[in-house]
Amino acid sequence: MDTVSSLKNLRLKFPGEDGLLFKDLNLSFKKGEKVLLLGPSGCGKSTLLQVLSGIIPRSVEIPIKFDSIQIPDKWGFIFQDPETQFCMPYVDEEIAFVLENLQVPRHEMPSRIEELLNEVGLHLKDIHTPIQNLSGGMKQRLAIASVLALDPDVIFFDEPTSLIDESGTEQIWETVKKIGEDKTLIIVEHKIEQIIDFVNRTIVFTPDGEILADGDSFSIFSHYKEKLKQYGIWYPGAWSEYKKESSSIIESKQQTSLYLDNFKGYRNKELKISLGSTSVHSGEWIMVVGENGAGKSTLLLSLMQLIKSSGSYQINNLTIKKINDLYGLAYLVFQNPEYQFLTNSVYDEMTYGTEQNPENIAKAEEILTTFGLTGKEKHHPFQLSIGQKRKLSVASAFIQQPKVILLDEPTFGQDLINTFKMLEWLENKRQEGSMIIMVTHDSQILKHFATRVWEVKKGELVNDRKVSNCMWSKEERLYEHIF
Amino acid sequence: MNTFFNCKETWLHKTNPSLKLIILLCLFVFAITIHQLHFMILFTLVIALLFLFGTGYSYKHIFLLLIPFLFIFLSTSTSMILFGKGETTLFKWAYVHITKESLIRGIHIGCRALSFAMLSLTFALTTQPVKLFYSLMQQLKLSPKYAYTFMAAIRLIPIMIEELQTIRNAQKVRGVQGQRNLFKRMNILMIPLLSQSIRRAHRIAVAMEAKRFDASKKRTFFYEIGFSKFDIFFASYFLIMFTVAYLFSIHFHISRYRC
Repeated sequence: MDTVSSLKNLRLKFPGEDGLLFKDLNLSFKKGEKVLLLGPSGCGKSTLLQVLSGIIPRSVEIPIKFDSIQIPDKWGFIFQDPETQFCMPYVDEEIAFVLENLQVPRHEMPSRIEELLNEVGLHLKDIHTPIQNLSGGMKQRLAIASVLALDPDVIFFDEPTSLIDESGTEQIWETVKKIGEDKTLIIVEHKIEQIIDFVNRTIVFTPDGEILADGDSFSIFSHYKEKLKQYGIWYPGAWSEYKKESSSIIESKQQTSLYLDNFKGYRNKELKISLGSTSVHSGEWIMVVGENGAGKSTLLLSLMQLIKSSGSYQINNLTIKKINDLYGLAYLVFQNPEYQFLTNSVYDEMTYGTEQNPENIAKAEEILTTFGLTGKEKHHPFQLSIGQKRKLSVASAFIQQPKVILLDEPTFGQDLINTFKMLEWLENKRQEGSMIIMVTHDSQILKHFATRVWEVKKGELVNDRKVSNCMWSKEERLYEHIF
Repeated sequence: MNTFFNCKETWLHKTNPSLKLIILLCLFVFAITIHQLHFMILFTLVIALLFLFGTGYSYKHIFLLLIPFLFIFLSTSTSMILFGKGETTLFKWAYVHITKESLIRGIHIGCRALSFAMLSLTFALTTQPVKLFYSLMQQLKLSPKYAYTFMAAIRLIPIMIEELQTIRNAQKVRGVQGQRNLFKRMNILMIPLLSQSIRRAHRIAVAMEAKRFDASKKRTFFYEIGFSKFDIFFASYFLIMFTVAYLFSIHFHISRYRC
């Protein structure tokens, strides 16, 4: 078979960093291969894709050196963030942008656009639809459609589903399987469950950017499981092997209770979420589930009093009317950790808003140690890696000692080690008597940690049930329709 | 701009955006050269006619948009009327000294501000940004590099507004409200917003080049924007109306109110 893409002795160094990211890397891909690149976060997989496609150094200037490189004649690239790969406001205009670049005559464009959208299964009533009205999964399929317009032999995927919920992920991979049969696909991805049967070659990188293993997927996952585990890479069955350390509820010292009565949240005077009447107690871990746009995040905003609400809301018999009433009681961790950083160093971040006394300093240091952030105290929060940022944003929540912790998908896009760690910290907090209300799209997290599930549908809490681990075989079927 | 409200598409929407832009710029320059009060008032009326009945928006929306500009009209003209210099006194009280000259000049300047505002609004309300840049590329040979940069940037504006709101909420949770220093408050808002925007812009640029965008190559256009009878309408509307207005003001010998 022909080689479509290859590299000989690649060396690459990021400006400002000490070591080489790649040292004498050799790789080649044959026509029609479906390749999965795996490696711990920060090992340079995404950078490698950009080198293979020629984006580095043509569009992104990073010093590289190689003996030879073969860049495919026709290639397409799907990026991670669905928001930032379009430059036009409407669906048809975006695909037309690619066709214009290829100098396709104007009269052929409308039929070509229809054809491409059909190929990826995007059946829109009107192709002149604003891109911002599409869901994440649809946006990624639009990205695939516009890449197909290039008629590529090789398509590179840079974690295309890491910001997409589970149903969207499924749609994306189904589309890829359909369109990719005769193409070479080179994929970087860490949510691997849905593509594991589909890729026929897997390459595993070490944290230093060297190739640890290269071969057919089945043998890689059976031979290198321990290594993958050590690097924190998701592997098939990671969850089924995961055992919670202790699931017994320790009798907690502090008792917290939260009451809601006819509680409703509004945005621009419009009713956005209605929770009805319910109560939550210490030691409960509520997972909020529902489709995209059902009102899950709005639910958290209303409980944090960041949007207008009506009805009565009490925590520990204190009536909550505005966000200031919640200081030290409740804390909402946002999805993008950068939004919540206020200072210029990790250390200041941990002591923000507290008095500078030895007790608080000791507490801050203790939290930093548990979160594995020691040694980074002087760093600017924005200099941390994405995983560390996420840790810091949760760590800074613990400084206020909130009784109610609200989280919006805190494990989104995290590797295996960070995901488990984060969940264990929260589990600890829960056992100490905090209550946790968390939005998630991950059915595995739900299965292993939830004590109660809230299902939100069209701005309403439609289902509220307590669950326990032994009930799952039955529950699983109950929630199948959500995921 | 016209994604804010729904509107009917009128003939102004179908006018060539580049032509519209050029005529507008010419009118701006022309308005500065008008020194006759009556002609200035008529000039403003001609534009108001187009603005009120030509854009296809409901009167409610038009009125709402006009409020800030009426405020500009009042503030510029009253300050000139009340405190301007002049010889023929009409009214005098403390610092307020209204003269015939200052009254004329005040109304004149107010009209100028108002007509500028209405012209720009008419343009903004009846021109889609995407169509404008396509037209600029085709008629005025604007480099695609700048045209697509602007179009991508326009796409980012609503995302940034939404993000600003999210950042403010996220910071409220950490207890930022107490911060009184405006500069510090701006600082902590702007850093995450800008860092996010720079990263976004960079990613979009890379994505555009990955889709083979090359500013130096020839390209075809999805929207071919040419000229039509509406462009003749548009040009002749101003030509005819202004000629009539000018003749009218000369005919009645009111040119003595010069400014």
